[in-house]
Amino acid sequence: MFQKTAGFRVFFWISLVCIGGFIFLPLLWMVNTALKPQAETFTMGFFNTVSLENIKSIVTNGTIMTYLKNSLIVSFASSFMATLVCTLAAYSFSKFRYTGRKLIMGAFMMSQAFPQAILLLSIYVLMQKTGLLGSYGALLISYVVFTLPVGTWTLKSYFDQLPDALIESAKIDGAGNLRIMGQIILPMAIPGMISVAIYGFVWSWNDLLYSMTLVTDSAKRTLASGLVMTYLGEASTNWGAMMAASIVSAIPVTIIFVFLQRYFIQGLTAGAVKG
Amino acid sequence: MKKGSPLKSLTDKQVGFMLVIPGLAVFIGIILYPFVNSVIMSFTNRSLLQPNYGWVGFENYAKVFKDPYFLQTLGTTFLFVLLATAIPFALGLIWAIVLNQGFKGAEFLRGITLVNWIIPGTAIGFLWSWIFNGQYGILNGILKGLGLLETGIPFLGQTGTALLCVVVARTWQMLPWYMAFLLGGLQGVSLDQIEAARIDGAGNWRVFTHVVVPSMKTIMTLVFVLGLVGNLQHFDLPWTMAQGGPARATTTLSIEVYTTAFKNWNMGKAATIGTIWAVLLACFSFIYLRQVNEAD
Repeated sequence: MFQKTAGFRVFFWISLVCIGGFIFLPLLWMVNTALKPQAETFTMGFFNTVSLENIKSIVTNGTIMTYLKNSLIVSFASSFMATLVCTLAAYSFSKFRYTGRKLIMGAFMMSQAFPQAILLLSIYVLMQKTGLLGSYGALLISYVVFTLPVGTWTLKSYFDQLPDALIESAKIDGAGNLRIMGQIILPMAIPGMISVAIYGFVWSWNDLLYSMTLVTDSAKRTLASGLVMTYLGEASTNWGAMMAASIVSAIPVTIIFVFLQRYFIQGLTAGAVKG
Repeated sequence: MKKGSPLKSLTDKQVGFMLVIPGLAVFIGIILYPFVNSVIMSFTNRSLLQPNYGWVGFENYAKVFKDPYFLQTLGTTFLFVLLATAIPFALGLIWAIVLNQGFKGAEFLRGITLVNWIIPGTAIGFLWSWIFNGQYGILNGILKGLGLLETGIPFLGQTGTALLCVVVARTWQMLPWYMAFLLGGLQGVSLDQIEAARIDGAGNWRVFTHVVVPSMKTIMTLVFVLGLVGNLQHFDLPWTMAQGGPARATTTLSIEVYTTAFKNWNMGKAATIGTIWAVLLACFSFIYLRQVNEAD
């Protein structure tokens, strides 16, 4: 795209080194701090002595492991629910025509734009009334909302690519709506469904605001809010353990990302660009 | 399939509508109802500490607009939103151009760049608090090592630098996101057009400003607006790094709504701030929707 003139080379190398350093050095520093013996936390040493002391202190910490388990439960469940809801809605938007369709589509798209904090006020009161406050249920339902706009649009763009003739010919063969959906349409949208599921999982895994507010029972806290509660406001902060805990909290999403990167980027871009 | 027969007797329109019911229920229950309810709440003196509350009309609004802290919060929010969108956007674009050069390892770099964006905001907040730590942080360590400083600067503990620290952390988190979109945009730029411009004697800069930027206009605007909306909502980093402090220096609207409601238990006032905020957000969303409709 750009000719490799002297000027461009200078720009290229300066950018590569500076932005590359900015992106990767902090991560290295996090790993470095976590892998130091606790006695060396405050030294500038860079991978001098590697010790699993900090990691062990996190992995054997029952409370933090409970948070981890809670996060896994909530994220898997909400991701599953969100994918289901988005798939049905996207299929409906793409292949059916009915009154109110445009209005509902607009409403779904708008839901991205409502400030989460203001919704949270009433969700809190609502969950308090219905007795869901403090349970996983409150979080699960709220997290579906995060995925709704992007998820529906990602999947709608998948369904839009499937020719209507496919459905028509199945109908002529006598297949009902349910069979068409289950046997013809859904299998073709699986890549899209995976990217929506990942999106939903990462959203729920990383959320702090809702989990800090809607989960009042500390035994049910998710990792993000649990770690904040554990480490913020501590007088003498144990940075080694904090970095180790951060790494532990980052591992599940990173693993998912590494293995399913292709779907992920697809979903990320398709969802937002197409609206 | 048991449900086969009743479903078959339905018209396509009815089936279509039924499919959208779960999503619609979630939308109404968790977005529309809470939103309307919060707006209504802004006209009451509701508190989480007392079960009874009543109408107060525009009293909350009058209080909020008279509150000098509210103006400060608005200012902090605008500054944060602007910086935390513009900086990662610019760096993300440069990074996308670099990775688009297709050198060996570019694919790999793109992959690990995205890790920053994937990991939880809590972890990112912890990491940057550690880097900016006033006593033992690596940034102070480097500055002292270079002989630039005698004693460490409490970057997150002083009002002048705290917000900037949060912006840096947010930049680190979001740069990959901008990069992913803009790289997609770069790859869509027509090479024929670039070729044509080159024949007309255009250099790199002219190619960038006259071909690349115009053909990426839609995606750039979209990403920028989405970035603004995201930052206007952002909560994790200012909270984990500074809890809105010191002296409210990192208190953005989302932090303010959270603390007003769940630390001071004043739901009415929190709802008022939230409603004002929603109006601001609606303006951004309007631009976003228009862009999306154009792109469709």
